[in-house]
Amino acid sequence: MDPMVFLLDTLVFVGIFMILTLSLNLEYGFTGLGNFGKVAFFMVGAYIYAITIQFGLPFYISLVLGAVVAAILGALVSLPALRLREDYLAITTIAFGEIVRIIFKAEQAIAGGVWGIAVPSIFQDLNLSIRMSVIVNLLLIYCMVAVIFIILQMLTNSPYGRVLRSIREDDEAVAALGKNVIYYKVQVFMIGSAIAGIAGGLYAQYLRFIEPNMFLPLVTFFVWIMLILGGTGNNKGALVGALLIEFISRGSRIAKDYVALPVDPHNVQFVLFGILIIILIMYWPNGLLREKQIQTVPERRIAHGDSVSK
Amino acid sequence: MTGQILVNSLVTASLYLLAATGLTLTFGLSRFPNFAYAEFVTAGAFIGFLILQNPDGNILTALLLSFFGVGLISMLSYSVVFRPLVARSTNLIYLMISSIALGYVLRHTIGEIWGWRTQSYQQLWQVYQIGDLRITFLWIIMFVTALCAGIILHLFLTRSRLGKAIRAIANNPDLAAVTGINKQKIILLTWFFGAGLAGTAGVFRAAATRVVPMLGWDILLPMFAVTVLGGIGNFYGLIVAALILGFAENFGVVFLTGIGLSNEYRMAIAFVILIVILVFRPKGLAR
Repeated sequence: MDPMVFLLDTLVFVGIFMILTLSLNLEYGFTGLGNFGKVAFFMVGAYIYAITIQFGLPFYISLVLGAVVAAILGALVSLPALRLREDYLAITTIAFGEIVRIIFKAEQAIAGGVWGIAVPSIFQDLNLSIRMSVIVNLLLIYCMVAVIFIILQMLTNSPYGRVLRSIREDDEAVAALGKNVIYYKVQVFMIGSAIAGIAGGLYAQYLRFIEPNMFLPLVTFFVWIMLILGGTGNNKGALVGALLIEFISRGSRIAKDYVALPVDPHNVQFVLFGILIIILIMYWPNGLLREKQIQTVPERRIAHGDSVSK
Repeated sequence: MTGQILVNSLVTASLYLLAATGLTLTFGLSRFPNFAYAEFVTAGAFIGFLILQNPDGNILTALLLSFFGVGLISMLSYSVVFRPLVARSTNLIYLMISSIALGYVLRHTIGEIWGWRTQSYQQLWQVYQIGDLRITFLWIIMFVTALCAGIILHLFLTRSRLGKAIRAIANNPDLAAVTGINKQKIILLTWFFGAGLAGTAGVFRAAATRVVPMLGWDILLPMFAVTVLGGIGNFYGLIVAALILGFAENFGVVFLTGIGLSNEYRMAIAFVILIVILVFRPKGLAR
């Protein structure tokens, strides 16, 4: 492959993982919800996009549809487990991820089963060269990264974000203050799943072909490594984590062609990632970028008529 | 036909019981689900492969070797990974992530040693035909192993001091510690014994199907379904749950193929049971 295209392609994947990591950061980093089935909502977004775009819908409608379906499924899956302890949510979401893959694998009629489904590119009328088409996708994806980042930054620094952080710290105390904790948790799960769904739609649009084996539980695990390395509760950390891990992962894939190892680099990579995450959790659980204090203006200052911009 | 499904159900139940006993006991004691149990099962399958790749390998030797091998892996992983994490009061979600990470380490170490291609045990299992029923020798050993494990564990939990201590810790760790129970020793023992059983489950699963590094992951879902269904940490609940899921799966598969759905949905049955239990009886059947 053209080295330039390889680099751009890597950056596209970085962008997709940035969106996924941002969504997990909202769920776990700010609200303390452990979503172990991120890949399921990513997959649903990708498949809904791939299926609806066949009907000639405009691209943004398909993207939104994927997000909406992912959000609805997110609510349905999380609701039974959200009122219980975190481990139940983990088990349910990890199980849901497997089930979604089994369904798309078994049902040829929905989207080609194991054979996968081709997705028409929205840029195909422009007759772009390979390099240009990657660049166009890159722009599209990073625009979405920027939009989602700004929205999440505003959301998590609002009074709403303050409620989320307090739910993470002590949900009983929040409930005692009269907030409906389950209601907030479901909302967060829906927003997080919708964002993952958008990532899925962009992924399908970029690759122009998807099949069930692209959506292994591995994707969820990668997103967790990115989030923990970057720093939970910090949206910039999520971006940095996604960038670093995707580059390390790609780098080792290149290195395999140049370095003769007595062992299979694919196996070594996963063993090392596994050990890395255990070490991170053990010695460095806060990650690269620490959580910042919330940026909302204290009520007292508003009451005294101080300017908000201070 | 129905008789055959009943036999198959018992076989499935025996497998899930062996695979999930350690999961539920350590979940009850250490208070987090160890997702690496999938890989404990896989490790058992591959350790058994050392013996059973020869046509004249003895399955009892393989079972014993898997039991001790996987038990040791589990004890080691507790001492090196989970005990330090618990000592640092790591939160529940990070403990679960670590167990998934450990699972990847084990699975890819196995993949490195034995490769990712599909392999199989070289044994031919004697088939007995009783009327309409078809029963293999493998199923008999599997059922007997599960039965023995159940009886031994029952006697151990109710009669011995150590077994009572396990139940005491699962029930109220602080109170148990006050009465002078050595918590670490008992947790370590449970991690060993439970994972050993999961290792034997791996041998049985591999003997019935094939040997691949994803072997354990493929039955992770039913393992967790029976754990939650039986009530976390509840061994007797687990027995009932394994039987229920065994019957549900085997009758369900017949039903699913009857209405023209793929038998890949076998796993979906476990998922449906899991969700129903979470909605209606989140503490499991027993309570």
